[in-house]
Amino acid sequence: MDLVAKFLLPLFPLVTSVTSSLIVNPEFRRTSVVGLLYLSVMNQHKTVSTSTLDVPGNTPTPRYFGREKSRTKSDKLFSGSIIVAALSSLVILTAILLYLGSNSWPVLVEQGFSFITGSEWSTTDGVEIFQIWPMLYGTFLNAIIGLVIAIPVSVFLALFIVFLAPKNLSKVLTVVIDILAAIPSGIIGLWGFLVFTDTAAKWGQLLNQYLGWIPLFANDQEQFARSPFIAGWVLAIMIIPIITVVSREVLAQTPQELLDAARGLGGSLSGAIKMVALPHARGGIVGGVMLGLGRALGETIAIFFVLNLIFDVNIYKILNPEGGAIASMIVAKFGEATPNEINALLGAGLILFIMTLFVNLAANYIVKRSQREKLA
Amino acid sequence: MTITLDKPINSIKPPKPWAKRNKSTVVNNAIAVILPTVVLGILFFTTEIPGPVLVVVVFFPLQLLTAGVTSFMDKGKRGIGDSLLSVGCVSAFGLVVALLGSVVLSVIARGLPAMKFNFLFQNNIYISPTTELTYGGIGHALLGTLLVVFIASIIAVPLGIASAIYITDIKGRAAGFVRFMVQAMSGVPSIVAGLFIFAAIILTDVVGFSAIAGGLAYAILMLPTVARTAEEVLRLVPKEVRDAAVALGSSRARVTMRIVLPTAKTGLITAVVLGVARIIGETAPLLLTTSNANNTNLNPFRDPVSTIPVYIFQYLGSGYQTSIQRAWGAALVLLLAVTILFALTRYLSRNKKGNV
Repeated sequence: MDLVAKFLLPLFPLVTSVTSSLIVNPEFRRTSVVGLLYLSVMNQHKTVSTSTLDVPGNTPTPRYFGREKSRTKSDKLFSGSIIVAALSSLVILTAILLYLGSNSWPVLVEQGFSFITGSEWSTTDGVEIFQIWPMLYGTFLNAIIGLVIAIPVSVFLALFIVFLAPKNLSKVLTVVIDILAAIPSGIIGLWGFLVFTDTAAKWGQLLNQYLGWIPLFANDQEQFARSPFIAGWVLAIMIIPIITVVSREVLAQTPQELLDAARGLGGSLSGAIKMVALPHARGGIVGGVMLGLGRALGETIAIFFVLNLIFDVNIYKILNPEGGAIASMIVAKFGEATPNEINALLGAGLILFIMTLFVNLAANYIVKRSQREKLA
Repeated sequence: MTITLDKPINSIKPPKPWAKRNKSTVVNNAIAVILPTVVLGILFFTTEIPGPVLVVVVFFPLQLLTAGVTSFMDKGKRGIGDSLLSVGCVSAFGLVVALLGSVVLSVIARGLPAMKFNFLFQNNIYISPTTELTYGGIGHALLGTLLVVFIASIIAVPLGIASAIYITDIKGRAAGFVRFMVQAMSGVPSIVAGLFIFAAIILTDVVGFSAIAGGLAYAILMLPTVARTAEEVLRLVPKEVRDAAVALGSSRARVTMRIVLPTAKTGLITAVVLGVARIIGETAPLLLTTSNANNTNLNPFRDPVSTIPVYIFQYLGSGYQTSIQRAWGAALVLLLAVTILFALTRYLSRNKKGNV
């Protein structure tokens, strides 16, 4: 033991300093047993210089991105928390279905299928009848009128911003559209109720006067305010910025080479837009339209102020002051609703929710399909 | 390979696209611009038909026709499409500017008379729909809106940006699914968000009508807007930037937090502001979750709280002259708030060194 203490202990610092200085030397690391041992221990979490790559067990730890699983702890923690947060939308959607469904289930069972197909809503005389067909139909009628107005306007506007307008003007227009998108629906409702209704009612009267022979523009009430026509315009004002913004973005991403090629082959600007830009942007435009449709279906307050809610289905007379909208109906009935009626309103909300879900499902499908066609 | 020419080379005239427009183009353009305007002017001053009707019924079709015909004369068949395109574009532009102008101008013109000092700072206690405008105001509603939007933001912004990161950066197995869910969620109507929070929290007596309920309802509406915008912004971060960070040996968390998010900073701020702008004027969910109050209430967990959209709704419904003026005043404040938000984003995202 004495020998060990006397000779080896003083040697220890010497040996370590020599080996460590040798380890620093890459030649030694690659050739000696000590060096390889050192590398196999130390390099598990470290990248090494490329000169040592050819030694077995000596490759840098790969980092996996994309679909591969991550290896380090911090990465696992990070992606785990992100996944939990990302699934919040699933949780919320499921919770909406569950809560609205479970609360309204008794009423829906009691009313049966006529909850959707009937057109009567009454709580008088102790008999509670809740049927929403006119509101359901009216919701779609308003949205379709809004889309018919909004789609051409927004697509032209997007084309104008991207291709035609001088640079300064298109910058200004972009801001204008952003402002229009940001105007709250409450203000649009206020404006629609106190300013726009008068003008639009006059236009409705004119349409009826000169084009009244078309069934669409018939009016049997001698009154033109609070009609689906006006509701459609108000919706259009809210949809236009949505479709325009989306279309503008996808149109602006049209590859310049393709546009140049089309022009270089002698195509006119409109030809280039028709054959290159619009096909390229079709998926995005459809997506924007669907976004707008979703907004239109669920719009509440603006419609509440500019539309007469009648529990009697108005199929096509868009100038008649009779219409429906589920969302507005919920607000209109909510204040003085009986407990059972509240559950019926939750049921109506459930149906509105499912409807908008399906619209989005369809939107997804259409956008994906158009993208696939573009690739093919 | 040799090129054979059927004519001597100096007899071929180059097309010279840079040359000045010839006279007929100028004349044609002038006709396309002047003729419809002159017809409109003559009809406007000689007949009793109101101006807007003339614009839609006479001017617009005539403009389309003249533009089409003159450009056909000028450039042949190819010109028609171009001219119709430009007429359509300018008309759409005019329509949107007219509508927006009408909204903004009427809010400003009718809201200004209500703008007194007290209107911004007093609350609504002891105020009836017919009280003069020198008493009472929207102070309580302003604070309430700030409170509700703040609650919504602290819930929705992290969740939304996390969803976007999951889709664009982590690209996990469920990326498509999460994307689909966010998309489905963006279709949730505002009234349904309100109904859900009402059914989940208020009917079950967790809390009553309160700011926290309103904030939760707002968060549901805000999340998809933030997530979708953030996703689009994160997609714009060049792949090379990510690759470079990976090649330098950074971990996934580090790449996202230190490289991708800062690169997309301005876009993310825009996403948040768009989310706020999406919700700030929503009335329907608040009617079902915060209800309405006349006093100032800063406790988010108890008692109804007033907000500007609900204030507008309340005073518009009562129908008196002064109450409608109050509604316009509140609308003006809301519009100003939105404008300030927008100016803020513009200021924040002004281009420094060509950021994304």
